[in-house]
Amino acid sequence: MTNPADPSDKGSIRDRLQSPVPSSEANSGGDSRHSDLTDAGFQQTDSRGALHARGHDEGQQGVPHATPVTHAHAPLDPALEEAKARAAERKIAGLFLASFASVIAFFFVYFLAPFKFTEPNNIYFTPTLAVLMGIALGGIGAGTVMWAKNLMGHEETVQERHPFGSPPEERAAAAELLVAGAQESQLGRRSLLRNTLLLSGGALALLPLPLLFDLGPYAHKERGLATTAWKKGMRLVRENGTPVRIGDLGLGSIDIVFPDVPGGNMMADAPTMLIRMQPGEFKPVKGREDWSVDGHVAYSVICTHLGCPVKLYEQQTHHLFCPCHQSTFDASNGAKVLFGPAARPLPQLAISVDADGYFIAQGDYHEPVGPSYWERKP
Amino acid sequence: MTEGRAVTSTKTGPSRFQRLSGYAVVLLALALVGGLYTAFAAPKSNAADSTSSEQSMAVKAGRELFLQGCSTCHGLNLQGGAGGPSLIGVGESAVIFQVESGRMPLYAGTVQAPRKKAKYSIAEIDQLAAYVGSIGGGPSLPKGALNDGQLQMGGDLFRTNCASCHNFAGAGGALTYGKYAPPLSPSSARVIYTAMQTGPESMPRFTDNQLTPDEKKAITKYVEFITKAPQPGGNDLGRYGPVPEGLVIWLVGIGALVGLTLWIGARA
Repeated sequence: MTNPADPSDKGSIRDRLQSPVPSSEANSGGDSRHSDLTDAGFQQTDSRGALHARGHDEGQQGVPHATPVTHAHAPLDPALEEAKARAAERKIAGLFLASFASVIAFFFVYFLAPFKFTEPNNIYFTPTLAVLMGIALGGIGAGTVMWAKNLMGHEETVQERHPFGSPPEERAAAAELLVAGAQESQLGRRSLLRNTLLLSGGALALLPLPLLFDLGPYAHKERGLATTAWKKGMRLVRENGTPVRIGDLGLGSIDIVFPDVPGGNMMADAPTMLIRMQPGEFKPVKGREDWSVDGHVAYSVICTHLGCPVKLYEQQTHHLFCPCHQSTFDASNGAKVLFGPAARPLPQLAISVDADGYFIAQGDYHEPVGPSYWERKP
Repeated sequence: MTEGRAVTSTKTGPSRFQRLSGYAVVLLALALVGGLYTAFAAPKSNAADSTSSEQSMAVKAGRELFLQGCSTCHGLNLQGGAGGPSLIGVGESAVIFQVESGRMPLYAGTVQAPRKKAKYSIAEIDQLAAYVGSIGGGPSLPKGALNDGQLQMGGDLFRTNCASCHNFAGAGGALTYGKYAPPLSPSSARVIYTAMQTGPESMPRFTDNQLTPDEKKAITKYVEFITKAPQPGGNDLGRYGPVPEGLVIWLVGIGALVGLTLWIGARA
């Protein structure tokens, strides 16, 4: 019943208060903690509740509720116990006082301490509050845990689960209720109701089919993903709507431009970067010689890898850099991929200049912008 | 002096006095007109005179500094050479950016000139800038405070034009092949403004047609606002945003909690 091998086991308060075990008896036991589970203490309490007997009892009906099984350890010398308990009491009280002091300090720091937003040491304001709050909460928590561990009894308790099945009476009552409901609804007699209900239920099951249909190739016949809002003769405007004129950009300048659609561009696939570089540095791709104007060249800013905005432009190397996965494009050479996971160059927008000197698009992009997709036809 | 002589010579005779008094009247009238003119036009003409003379002195002093510190690479007449590019036409702003941020004088040929402690005082930088600006022109700083703009407009423009490289909080970021967009927190208003004007190194230029001086001032104000904002939450982790913050929370915060839990479990 006792475990003298473990001196930290002090037994429950109840045991200590009511039935102190003489030390001679405590020494007589030689069994390990594990074998405690099968000793007389369990057998006396309730044979069905003991751990080793659980397997036999599961099938039995009428096991009421779980039966708590308690097992108590024997106490040590009461005088020594009391001294230890007093020491623990002081420690716990110290933790509670630390918590109290932290709350006071919290108020002090919050209202009075010189950690104001405008001062250089303001970086200590929130961390100080956090530490004080942590001590305030943690002191109470740690004190409570120590209280339970050092002063309260050590009792091991096993509580059985309920049996999974409902009692037979409840099952019979439920079955009766169902049969009565079916009879009351006259499902067997009213065949018209039954058949129309089956019909409507079957139709309801077909509802998700059009959603699957949208996944197929038919839905993309109009090439919505492959086109953008850019049209022939449309001006290149900045985000605030001002058109870009030739000469606005200096050498090494860029501008993010959008199609001049009435009401402002709302489409995410249209943003384009207009870059100006030395005409000599720019090597147009074969067949695209007239797509640029005097060193001005325009590319889609939507990365062909996963659609991030490729807006990091290095004016000396003409690298266009995607911040998401480090795809690097050469703006001076048709946005050829230099590095990274992008598989295709950025689409180039063919531009020219209208009679008033404003940049206009020669048409839509010649290929779909952005990441690849299944139906993409380059 | 002539007036004084006129006064002293009144003793010689009335006819002479009359003759001389004519001169005196003319002189007095001239003095009056000149005095009035100086009084009314004083601020303008004085300032113009003194600035132009200060300007030429600054150009002279700047030339001295340039010959000592810069001409080895940039040539005796800014024409450039093997070590450095020509500075003709880069403007005062380029000098202010490069020298005030410590990038020039360059120490070693790295992939990108690093920011260093400035080698020259602000006065010397202005002299250097005046000299370089006097040859070939180029962008220069506008009058007035450089951070005198609308904060909200500056924020919009910053996020549109700058944040893709310099990060939404101005913390900087990586570019290709070892280049990087530097953090903006150590930059003065002059450096921020001139960087936009001149487009140093990898950075694109923003001409006054793209971002007007008022818009540049607004951006400068916004950059000062975000980089000098207080950090009441403690360490800002470089202001790189939710990724490092999450990493710290998961590794340090949750790690500490797991360790504490294991410790409690071991003690129980």
